Amino acid sequence: MSAAESATAIQRNQVDLLDFIDWSGVECLNQSSSHSLSNALKQGYREDEGLNLESDADEQLLIYIPFTQVIKLHSIAVMGSEEDGPKTVKLFANREHMGFSNVSDFPPSDTAVLSPDNLKGKPVVLKYVKFQNVRSLTIFIEDNQSGSEITKVQKIALYGSTVETTDMKGLKKIEDH
Amino acid sequence: MVLEATMICIDNSEWMRNGDYSPSRFQAQADAVSLICGAKTQSNPENTVGILTMAGKGVRVLATPTSDLGKILSCMHGLEMGGEMNLAAGIQIAQLALKHRQNKNQQQRIIVFAGSPIKHEKKALEMIGKKLKKNSVALDIVDFGEEEDGKPEKLEALLASVNNNDTSHIVHVPPGQNALSDVLISTPVFTGDGEGGSGFAAAAAAAAAGGVSDFDFGVDPNIDPELALALRVSMEEERARQEAAAKRAAEEAGRQEKGEEAQPQSDSQNATSTTTEKVSDPMDEDDALLKQALALSMNIPGSDSSAGDAQMSEATNDDQELAMALQMSMQEGSKDSSAPSDVSKVLGDQSFMSSILSSLPGVDPNDPNVKDLLASLPGQSEPQQKKDEDEQPSKDDK
Repeated sequence: MSAAESATAIQRNQVDLLDFIDWSGVECLNQSSSHSLSNALKQGYREDEGLNLESDADEQLLIYIPFTQVIKLHSIAVMGSEEDGPKTVKLFANREHMGFSNVSDFPPSDTAVLSPDNLKGKPVVLKYVKFQNVRSLTIFIEDNQSGSEITKVQKIALYGSTVETTDMKGLKKIEDH
Repeated sequence: MVLEATMICIDNSEWMRNGDYSPSRFQAQADAVSLICGAKTQSNPENTVGILTMAGKGVRVLATPTSDLGKILSCMHGLEMGGEMNLAAGIQIAQLALKHRQNKNQQQRIIVFAGSPIKHEKKALEMIGKKLKKNSVALDIVDFGEEEDGKPEKLEALLASVNNNDTSHIVHVPPGQNALSDVLISTPVFTGDGEGGSGFAAAAAAAAAGGVSDFDFGVDPNIDPELALALRVSMEEERARQEAAAKRAAEEAGRQEKGEEAQPQSDSQNATSTTTEKVSDPMDEDDALLKQALALSMNIPGSDSSAGDAQMSEATNDDQELAMALQMSMQEGSKDSSAPSDVSKVLGDQSFMSSILSSLPGVDPNDPNVKDLLASLPGQSEPQQKKDEDEQPSKDDK
């Protein structure tokens, strides 16, 4: 119980990193043009269950998110449906311009296998020590829950804190889902 | 002006010896490749182009993506024909070459010249296409040369699996009189996703068309598009102004007594003739504006204010802000509100607008939407509306 309490205590200091995303450099490989990354990342779109990020040629997705300042990444919440939602998610910190061909060239900073709970919104706590100095994040969605051709992601939310300053006004209480 | 890295895959198989494209398939292909390289590097100086050959002993990369046009053109020399084209390997190696481009911000594109029969199956080509799409590589296919059953279908299937939002294109070039390059120039392969054509490509088109071009003002729009445009716009405007002035004068003469109207009629005609001189003289835009400014400053606006407005409207086409500033200084204090309405006068001049619009490709002035737009433009001042009403019936009369 105390471990769970302390876990949620850490969670409370974390903010949604949406404000620190450098939108001009955000890229997503193999996304469907009508169902693009904004549907999963942007405020408002990601809350809408009808708007999903969908993959195109096959079920894998490679998302590159640069930040406007250096951040520490604490946890990530990936929401999707039970069948088409992502299963294995690999995260790479500070790797630029990755392609599908070099995802296996170096080990990921962390790997998450999403359970149905996660898909409903429960954040996955990451190895905090690996994400202390993150300038950019690459999210590689390797497969989905049912093995179908198209992976659908409803929402991707990143939680963490900034390195330089902690903006006290920006601290928002994260509600438990 | 898209920042792009391009790999061109050349077919140098035995089939290229055929002469159904003049002088030979291979030569036509080489010309097209040179033109493409030039067009790409011209449209954006940071663009890079690389070349590889697909036939011969095996796929060979002649030049990795570089912006050095000389190097690219020189590696086209001394190419030998032989063997069979290996399309799949060619595309995959092109993809690899693009992956290792120096500037990762460049979009990736492969241009394939498919001149010989394709020995791969449709399925294999579709797999390759999917892989290209997954890595966001665009593909342009030039289907020429050997015509084989199923070749167009295979290439279309490949295009369909690669195509993402119309960034990829296919061009079928049948053998015939026209050179391969000429046919390609008008296609999206050259113009690059509907940007409207690069100046280089257009110049090449003019050269290829050969002979004297019958352009209106003795200025080749391909060589100097801005100058030609400025000339055309001022001529149109002049024509429109004269028409409008003549119409207005005719109407006024018809409505009121002739004696009183002879005066403003000749005045407006003088104004239009002086503006003609001013416009047609030095075609350097700055000079024209400068002369108008000088003339205006000398012309105290006690006399025909409409002449001043007409002159101002000349400038507005080129630089609306400059015109407004000059106008303001000319009519200091009073009639500040008239300045914007003079600008809108030009826009509101329907015959002028429709003549300009008709010279634009793809716009039909008789289109009801365009007519509504023209009618809605000058919605501000009352005299403006009256003028519209005058022009409407006169337009209907036509």
